[in-house]
Amino acid sequence: MSAIDFSDPATIALLTQALTAAGVDGLEISRPGAQLRIVISGEGEARISATEAAPRAPRATQTVVTAPMAGRFCVEHPAASAVPQNLPRSQSVADILGFIRVGDVLLPLRADPSGVMTRLLAAPGALVGYGDPLFEIRFPS
Amino acid sequence: MIEILESGPFNTVQDLGRPGYRDIGVSASGAMDPLAVRIGNILVGNDENAAVVEVQTFPFRLRFERRIAFAITGADGNPHLDGSERLAWCAYVAEPGQVLELKQPPRLARSYVALGGGLDIPVVMGSRSTSLRGGFGGNAGRPLAKGDRIAIGEDAEIAMLPATGLAVVEPATALSDVFPAPVDGVLPIRALPAGEHELFTKDGEAFWSQTWRISSRSDRTGYRLSGEPIKPVASIEMRSHGVVPGVIQVPPGGEPIVQMSDANTAGGYPKIAGVIESDLWRLGQARIGARLSFVRSTHAEARAVEQAVARYVDDVRRTSRMVKRALKAMA
Repeated sequence: MSAIDFSDPATIALLTQALTAAGVDGLEISRPGAQLRIVISGEGEARISATEAAPRAPRATQTVVTAPMAGRFCVEHPAASAVPQNLPRSQSVADILGFIRVGDVLLPLRADPSGVMTRLLAAPGALVGYGDPLFEIRFPS
Repeated sequence: MIEILESGPFNTVQDLGRPGYRDIGVSASGAMDPLAVRIGNILVGNDENAAVVEVQTFPFRLRFERRIAFAITGADGNPHLDGSERLAWCAYVAEPGQVLELKQPPRLARSYVALGGGLDIPVVMGSRSTSLRGGFGGNAGRPLAKGDRIAIGEDAEIAMLPATGLAVVEPATALSDVFPAPVDGVLPIRALPAGEHELFTKDGEAFWSQTWRISSRSDRTGYRLSGEPIKPVASIEMRSHGVVPGVIQVPPGGEPIVQMSDANTAGGYPKIAGVIESDLWRLGQARIGARLSFVRSTHAEARAVEQAVARYVDDVRRTSRMVKRALKAMA
């Protein structure tokens, strides 16, 4: 679902109409970087103020990559020579974070969306179950 | 359909070969690394004997004309899909118009392109393999060339493939306990003494103890080896007799020839040894200039290696199906 654009005059007019029709006094919506306030007066007139805050550094949020199925958690490909895992490190959607190994079959794990891997949440080589947390990824909101 | 955009010489369509016609002089052909073919086909949901592309001269590029599963196995280089690197030994789904590129692998010789549904090519004498010497089978009996378009069979399992791909631990790693790694760059190849081994007496020991190099006069028919020549104690005239891949013959010059996938069906040189069948794929992945030594093996060891390989292939077949089904059920 795409986000509603609260700076769009047509959207504001629609919201005002809806509030008036519903007999609601007003509405205030705050989102990072913007605030919209609509107050319906007694005569059915509306006072509208929309402010756009100065752009600020995007707030980092995080997601957790979980195991898509049970298996052995591998941070490196079994054929790769082991390299130290320096964290945090950037991961794009194309990068492979690690694998779930079942016998000699490997299920690649990816970051979606791209972000910064900050923590390993399972021990390399550990047996994990479906839904177990594996990586913490922080990404710009 | 796939369209070949770029290909070096001698890249051909191969499967697991055309056995059963040696008596009428038809070589078995088939992939130089049949284990890579089997695993690639399993990953994309094919029968293990489905036809694949054997790439031995790089770079190689093809374009997918429809949505299709593919896996690159064999050599140690990673493929690129629309310029983005992908894992080898891993099945992915390609979209129509995407371009697959295989670059020169760092160490090994041959890559295999397995496609969901297999290459839809007429079967000749039980096989889709290209017989270059016979000029039949595969892609009209000739190597692939730029502009060739090849039909692909129906891909029944593409919907089962996870979006992130499905990979395997490649044989060299998964089977490292039965396939010893090269020592100081010398690849150990196990072999059994063959019919005329006794003719070489002292030089027979030199055959086993020295390091051989794969000469530039090597191809899918045979690997000619360079080293200190070995000579029989007496020159004998032998009637031409049947040979198979793995047979090591010693011509009068004293430098051995190992028969490979396109092996002659008959020959008259004395046979000093035979490479065990399970080690042939390792030889098939050795490049010109590579060094190797022959390790005297036993029938029991050859059988044990064969069984370990069979267990690995069975495990990959069963587990990959199980993983696909489990992921589908949880989606």
